[in-house]
Amino acid sequence: MKTKLTQYIQSLKDHLTMDPASEKDVIHELETHVEDSCQELQNAGLSEDEALEKCLSRLGSAKIVARQIYEANNQGTWRQALLAALPHLLFAIIFALKWWTDINILPIMFVVILGIAIYGWYHGKPYWLFPWLGYSLFPIVAAGVSLLYLPEAWAWITLALYIPLVLLLLSLITIKILKRDWSYSLLMLVPAAAFIGWLLAAGQKPGFPGLKINFMYSFAPWTSLTFLVLAISVALFIRLRQRWLRITTLVTSGIIISTVTILASNQLGPASFIGLVLLIISFLIVPAFVERKVRRDQSAVIQTLLP
Amino acid sequence: MRQQNELVKGSVDSLLLCSIGQQSMYGYQIIKELENKSQGYFKYKEGTLYPALHRLEKAGLLVGKWEPAAGGRQRRYYHITPKGNKILAEKKVQWLDFLAAMNLIISPVSA
Repeated sequence: MKTKLTQYIQSLKDHLTMDPASEKDVIHELETHVEDSCQELQNAGLSEDEALEKCLSRLGSAKIVARQIYEANNQGTWRQALLAALPHLLFAIIFALKWWTDINILPIMFVVILGIAIYGWYHGKPYWLFPWLGYSLFPIVAAGVSLLYLPEAWAWITLALYIPLVLLLLSLITIKILKRDWSYSLLMLVPAAAFIGWLLAAGQKPGFPGLKINFMYSFAPWTSLTFLVLAISVALFIRLRQRWLRITTLVTSGIIISTVTILASNQLGPASFIGLVLLIISFLIVPAFVERKVRRDQSAVIQTLLP
Repeated sequence: MRQQNELVKGSVDSLLLCSIGQQSMYGYQIIKELENKSQGYFKYKEGTLYPALHRLEKAGLLVGKWEPAAGGRQRRYYHITPKGNKILAEKKVQWLDFLAAMNLIISPVSA
């Protein structure tokens, strides 16, 4: 019968998707509730098994209880929504006002973004951190792209070192986020779809850097629009309660951004659009798959420890 | 019965704030207290209590703390915050106004 309680608790854990400390708190609270309720039912004359059975049925479906607790705990405030949308808004302004060509502004912005991301990382990883974290990784992506312009042999050598290091860094960050909720990794990764879209579009233009910069210059209003779409969707993500609605909002914004990039650039075809959409879907599926695997492994360990 | 459930559902926050405002309590204790004080009228599906408590805590109206209960076991006690007290005072006025207005309609003579 204890197995039934363990299964109930495991089912709660599977659907809570909270940070480990809060999850432990919620589980302990519900366990103490079950203890009290069972004790009272046993005092009223029920056997241990009957008491547990009745107690769990009074609590209701573990999935529904977990979902409601998730929704109660994970809705951000308007202030948090604004903070999360702020990096996207900053980029929207920079591109709308064409300040992005100013050689001083971008480095200053990235230093500020990195500073805010580090602050958030060491202060409880609040909801608003993840978009800032995504942008703080942009210089790393830009450095990778610039390697392509090195002489051929050097490009291959440096890329061979660069790619594993970047993948390692991304994996470390994503795993840290997964411990809380994989959907937050989507907040960090979605802007990458926009960046890759422009890089693909700019890559179709011959000549570096002149023509590509000209292209980016004429494309700036559309770039600004994509950042605005991101800002709105991220703010909605923070304010919405239901997890599926949050994820749908971000994926939809990723598809809108890909469509805008393809149509406005006039450089890319359906293959690039499909590629971008697949990239967004991979941002969705890979963290979800890894989190599920980690949880299943934990569950298997618990099962082996049961008598 | 369905209408009764709707009434209970709509009054969850007020009932929780009021109960915890009178005395800090843990989840199971709250359910028992509400059931006893209302002579069995407020019978909660137990799983719905905790999301409601967490929502109120998130809104800053309650604060939960692990404290030893009778028998020495740790329980998560909920305490009302000053913000919670303020909201409770407002809700009490709203409920009393509502009850007075309902009485005027339902039992005009006695009102």
